[in-house]
Amino acid sequence: MNGAQWVVRALRAQGVDTVFGYPGGAIMPVYDALYDGGVDHVLCRHEQGAAMAAIGYARATGKVGVCIATSGPGAANLVTGLADALTDSVPVVAITGQVGSALIGTDAFQEIDVLGLSLSCTKHSFLADSLKSLPRILAEAFAIAREGRPGPVLIDIPKDVQQACGALSPYLLPAVDAPDFPAQDIALARTMLKNARKPVLYAGGGVGMARGVPALRAFLDETGMPSVVTLKGLGSVDPEDPAYLGMLGMHGAKAANLAVQECDLLLAVGARFDDRATGRLDRFAANAAVIHVDIDPAELGKLRRANVSLRGDLSRLLPALQQPLRIDGWRRQAMRMKEEHAWRYDAAGPAIDGPFFLKTLSERKPAGAVVTTDVGQHQMWAAQHMHFSRPEDFITSSGLGTMGFGLPAAVGAQMARPEATVICVSGDGSFMMNVQELGTVKRHRLPLKIVLMDNQRLGMVRQWQSLFFQGRHSETILDDNPDFLTLAKAFGIPGRRIDRASQIGEGLAAMLAAQGPYLLQVAIDPEANVWPLVPPGAGNETMLESLS
Amino acid sequence: MTYNQLSIRARFRPEIMERILRVIRHRGFRVCVMNMVQPAESEHVDLDLTVAGLRPVDGLSAQLSKVLDVVRIDVRPAAARRVAT
Repeated sequence: MNGAQWVVRALRAQGVDTVFGYPGGAIMPVYDALYDGGVDHVLCRHEQGAAMAAIGYARATGKVGVCIATSGPGAANLVTGLADALTDSVPVVAITGQVGSALIGTDAFQEIDVLGLSLSCTKHSFLADSLKSLPRILAEAFAIAREGRPGPVLIDIPKDVQQACGALSPYLLPAVDAPDFPAQDIALARTMLKNARKPVLYAGGGVGMARGVPALRAFLDETGMPSVVTLKGLGSVDPEDPAYLGMLGMHGAKAANLAVQECDLLLAVGARFDDRATGRLDRFAANAAVIHVDIDPAELGKLRRANVSLRGDLSRLLPALQQPLRIDGWRRQAMRMKEEHAWRYDAAGPAIDGPFFLKTLSERKPAGAVVTTDVGQHQMWAAQHMHFSRPEDFITSSGLGTMGFGLPAAVGAQMARPEATVICVSGDGSFMMNVQELGTVKRHRLPLKIVLMDNQRLGMVRQWQSLFFQGRHSETILDDNPDFLTLAKAFGIPGRRIDRASQIGEGLAAMLAAQGPYLLQVAIDPEANVWPLVPPGAGNETMLESLS
Repeated sequence: MTYNQLSIRARFRPEIMERILRVIRHRGFRVCVMNMVQPAESEHVDLDLTVAGLRPVDGLSAQLSKVLDVVRIDVRPAAARRVAT
């Protein structure tokens, strides 16, 4: 057995059934091993697409996503996807081929220092320097990707190591101890919760990554606490919970922001006080004591001092905090705020209103559907106006805000959950960034549904230029976009364009009824804006709701 | 600006210095003094650094602790005057 065959065998041993990648010279031995190695390989049309498909696969399943690329440009093209996985704590293992060991450092063809490239965009990385190191490295890579706060791990394997032959044995990792249960701090936090009059739970992406949704919902059921979520926390709280106030932050629901600003106790669970969530940090929940629950000790106290920090598995910690609370008045107040500031869908005129369209899509999508998005106005509208019952049903680039994410992430999600309806909600700017992945959709006959919200603009940047740069629309007008329907047709994907509100129903029906892939181009107002918006430097109580 | 002395023990890997120095730079600190030793026959390296920065050093220490090959970190305040000389 050679090193490359060992890599494929190790993937199988880790339970990997599908990998995403793109072949090239320095990774050819691994591709030879994949040829009949018992692992399905999905050929993406760009390494960035492969990395993002691996993310989509991981986020749709909770399993480790795997992507493969060759040396030099192949590895460099993975970097944005790895950075995305790092920022959003997604377990991914990237395997890259490297030039032969003797050529490393000679500026050989397609040689770049991949280990050096990986340092700031991975949780950890390895350069395999020998055949015998492979079992340990493969075992450690998967463990590191999964354990604690998940993240991407890169393994760079020189071609001679892939080709070297020898007998190898599986490497067994020692068990990792869970963090100590913080009994004293739990007691203190329980007292704080009991004494709070206006507590709010603020849930982040860590809830879903930790598979902590049942614990979180049980906690909310018993305590009755109002709750808000971050972009990546969407789906963790039951959207039918009457005291669930929606997403907080720069484009958050008004009731969510107002409740957090007024609360006297903030229970942050798997959240990291990101600037898009907090607005001006020194005005964020300024009168609240903070209990912060997270698996990553570096997040505790990083941006906001916590009165009590609880490190560990939230599925163990939340039940220990759970208790009935006497907060009926505050709960009623939060529900009143939610009703008073509910989204309104009363846009006048025949044109399609983006929020109303996405609300309608949310109501009509089948149960268990997965929605991916790109980045920009359509992403924020999806977060505001669509409902998700599980975090793994909404896959969006949250921390890094990576345009071009939606289509390849949908490819990964569809491969992971072939029975589910997978819908990619994109914008005309983002869609063009990884449009080559339509080739992957065609090759694998994926029945993806693509909703292209087309305003012929880089809408979010255009909105900021209108609001904060005196309307100087520098390089954000995309009125030279291609004919998207013809483009899709070139990949064998049918579709249609709608541009009037009266067409929404029939457009969605046609898309959702299609047996195979479908592109629904939705023309929207180029001047439409995402509201509310907390302007830069303001506290979250300051929400702009119109241009005036 | 505060000055702190970091004593770090890490598993030896060829790239360990890059990993540590990258985190120090990215998290808002600069290295004023540095010494690295790999004791003979040891799989570890010992680093002594004096770093300067405006941010709380606890945050830097927490981030360095996440570098997987870092085994131990001790942090002590360092006198600015001593660094300057």
